[in-house]
Amino acid sequence: MAQPLTKEGPDPETRRVAPLPPVLRGFLWAAIGFIVFAALAAWLDPSRVSPYITAVGAVAGWFGAMIGWLLGIGGYEHVVKPMMGYPSPAVRTSGWRRYYEYALDHKVIGIQYLGASTGTFLIAGLIAMAMRFQLMSYRPTLFHYPQNYLNAVGIHGTLMMFTVATVAMVGGLGNYFVPLMIGTRETMFPKASGMSVWLVPLGVLTVAMSPLLGQWTTGWRGYEPLASSDGSGLLYYYLGVFALTTSSLIVAINLTATILFKRTRGMTWNRLPLFAWGILTVSLLNIIWLPEIQTTFVLGMLDKVMPLNLFNVFGQPLGYEYLFWLFGHPEVYIVVLPALAIWSEIIPVMGRKSLFARPIAVLGLVFVMLLSGMVWAHHMFTMMRFSEMLPFSFFTEMISIPTGFAYLAVIGTLWNSRLRLTTPTLLVLMSMFNFLIGGLTGLFLADVPANLQLHNTFFVVGHFHYTIIGGMVFSWMAAMYYWLPKFSGRTYSEFWGKLGAIWVFVAFNATFLNFFILGLHGMNRWVSVYPKYLQPENFWTSIAAFFLGAGFAINIIHIVWAWMKGPKVKENPWDAKTLEWRTSSPPPTKNFDTLPVVVGSFYTYGEGVPDPVEIPVSEMETKGSPG
Amino acid sequence: MGSLVVFGILWIVGSLLGEWGATAWIDSAPNGTGPYFGTASNLGLVGVHAFDFLIWVAVPIFVFVVLMILFAMFKFRARRDENVTNAPSQVRNNKAFVGTWIVISILLNLLIWLHPNASGLEQVFAAQLPANNPKPVVIDVTARQWEWIFSYPQYHITQSLNASGQDTLYMPVNRPVKFVLRSYDPFHSYAHQVDVIHGFWIPAFGVKYDVIPGETRILYLTATKLMSTETNPMARVQCSEVCGPGHPYMEANLHVVTGSQFAAWAKAQAARG
Ligand code: HEM
Ligand SMILES: [Cu+2]
Ligand SMILES: [Cu+2]
Repeated sequence: MAQPLTKEGPDPETRRVAPLPPVLRGFLWAAIGFIVFAALAAWLDPSRVSPYITAVGAVAGWFGAMIGWLLGIGGYEHVVKPMMGYPSPAVRTSGWRRYYEYALDHKVIGIQYLGASTGTFLIAGLIAMAMRFQLMSYRPTLFHYPQNYLNAVGIHGTLMMFTVATVAMVGGLGNYFVPLMIGTRETMFPKASGMSVWLVPLGVLTVAMSPLLGQWTTGWRGYEPLASSDGSGLLYYYLGVFALTTSSLIVAINLTATILFKRTRGMTWNRLPLFAWGILTVSLLNIIWLPEIQTTFVLGMLDKVMPLNLFNVFGQPLGYEYLFWLFGHPEVYIVVLPALAIWSEIIPVMGRKSLFARPIAVLGLVFVMLLSGMVWAHHMFTMMRFSEMLPFSFFTEMISIPTGFAYLAVIGTLWNSRLRLTTPTLLVLMSMFNFLIGGLTGLFLADVPANLQLHNTFFVVGHFHYTIIGGMVFSWMAAMYYWLPKFSGRTYSEFWGKLGAIWVFVAFNATFLNFFILGLHGMNRWVSVYPKYLQPENFWTSIAAFFLGAGFAINIIHIVWAWMKGPKVKENPWDAKTLEWRTSSPPPTKNFDTLPVVVGSFYTYGEGVPDPVEIPVSEMETKGSPG
Repeated sequence: MGSLVVFGILWIVGSLLGEWGATAWIDSAPNGTGPYFGTASNLGLVGVHAFDFLIWVAVPIFVFVVLMILFAMFKFRARRDENVTNAPSQVRNNKAFVGTWIVISILLNLLIWLHPNASGLEQVFAAQLPANNPKPVVIDVTARQWEWIFSYPQYHITQSLNASGQDTLYMPVNRPVKFVLRSYDPFHSYAHQVDVIHGFWIPAFGVKYDVIPGETRILYLTATKLMSTETNPMARVQCSEVCGPGHPYMEANLHVVTGSQFAAWAKAQAARG
């Protein structure tokens, strides 16, 4: 990456304050922080025989490392010193280095989030490949002991959920596009946002390195009371997730405030783009539920460090499970709401047709948000009292009604449209197919008598991969292809885009349809060894999974290539109407020369429909009429 | 209008074909157990009926959406060389369609909640009433890290073992069994620190119930088929809730035998001490 530094940047100021590249300095300060805090813990610990790294020391050291990391990455100059009256140093605004430093521009931060999510997707995806490799045989091969495998499952699940599924479309696409789409130059709290993104690599490293502290076997849910007797690596699971959820919480607060207070003139609630609605509902969910899971994890961690007997037979053995799923179910809607919103964003543009039943589409998002807090215990049918089964199955089934509204709006729009079958369109249609299977298999799981058989089998694993990969990852890919011209002014190759889409679609279904069959055949979750009769089916499932992994790699390489080297493309290649397309690609640091004014709906097409956007007249000379 | 009629016809035809295929799949094994497998107990039969019914409900929904996707891809597709033009119709709402959709989705959800869910649960609850389980064989099931222990207090068997010393579950066919599930037993010392949740699951029976530290839970069940792990690997006791490193290995063999075989086995076990 020998891109020459352009004229505008980097300004000499930044050079002077950061003698080391910020990431390196962050690492160094983190190490110092760890040593200092761990030493403090060792000093306070009355036991003279305990080793240097104790459970308490590892936790204290981690907080030292977090502080060191955040200060070293730029918090010292950009946050702490200005608070004491020093001037804020300038932030690099061009060149590749700005992605590895503290940033204030929501677009840079969005790309930082996207990069972190993609990198983690690769790490957790490689772990999935290793798991599938193990499952090709019914006896131990790659993972010699079950705890190795179980730890891999836990890391895979934790990273995928807290760094990919909940982050890519919110911290990533949300940060990048919401301010552009609502017509503002910056987010509400850019400084906090610039810090929050650096919690992601910290959290990922913490979770990924946790086995060093002691292998843990609970999976991503950290079920008690197993957790309290399980390996000490769980401490770093709690702390890693703490960093990741704090990051998402800051994103949620920032984007909610931005949407509430920074919309441009004329951007009424009735005109707010669907994607912004999706991010708003998700952010409200995050603001409600992330503190809840953080509190739960603090309890779990305290219980582990100093036995408080909160969740074992002296306390409430099922207490943790209820608290976990109270957050855990809304979490799945946190994952999928932005995906559903993206469908309504892309299909009207590609179909040249007005969005059908827009109020219903918005209501669907809102009602899913409201209902999602009422269904949690459907993950616990095998644990609960009989009297709880009927209400929880009721709300669970009812939530499919507002979820269906997303389909209602898209199907109504597709009907009689002039659909351009581009890669993003194709991926949205595939996502609709996959999520449909995820939703329909949910009906079986919500049926309590059947749930008593299907629970904790691969049927469930198939179900949630269909909703998360099928719903969220496919929509994420659709969004990446759709917005690629916006990110970089370049575009992808339709051939490779379509090939990549079809490849992952086929491989995905070949892999995960098998999960349902495996589950019905009696394959349970969290097993590295299993009865021999399941081997042939598992073998072919793994082969398909390897193709799926390769398919994701192809798409990622293609997107990166298109971003850097793809053919240049005109500014608004899809003829979309939303505001992000009313500025150059990539957008300038301050997004718009003149803030656009909204005078109509972005989702209305047809002959003689007036342009929904006006650029104030006095400044017409700075910006020609929008293309 | 034309597309609508074609769509309607294709949807009906597709759904009928789908239902026909689903039924063939369901009936590919006796008693509609085709895709479900876990049906060898009274509770499993409740599950399989729910499963089959839901397949029939799901087929038309699946066909509807998939057909719509195919229509979008082939019928409503813009020709490649065509310039970008607006769709001829710009309908932004259709009260009849939206209304029907909402009403049908509410009714459908109420339906499947009432049947098979509530109706099936009614059978499950009834099957758990002691009055409906006369003269049950009582089996104390202890789940520990990582072992299943089966005791038969009525037969003075403290721990049922097979010839190679592995825990084994024997039960008579067509006779109610009362499983007393807990994670401690009088025969071992109890360590609360390592007492965790386990899941008592017999895949062939189509049912599982969790074992919670500090609680004693009862599960009444009647096996309806003769089987053993050797002949049907789904006939096994398997822990279904992750419980630590030994979780994958936490399984036990199962034998469902006739009443007289069971009596003979119990006598021999009791004699072993
Ligand atoms: C790349 C293809 C993927 C494959 C082949 C794959 C495969 C698997 C497998 C085999 C398991 C373990 C099942 C078990 O033994 O219990 C698993 C668990 C899981 N996966 Fe994936 N996975 C993939 C991608 C993803 C993605 C993209 C996500 C979410 C964004 C995800 C989320 C999870 C979660 C939450 C678990 C549960 C972990 C737990 O039980 O603690 N996976 N996956
Ligand atoms: Cu849930
Ligand atoms: Cu277990």
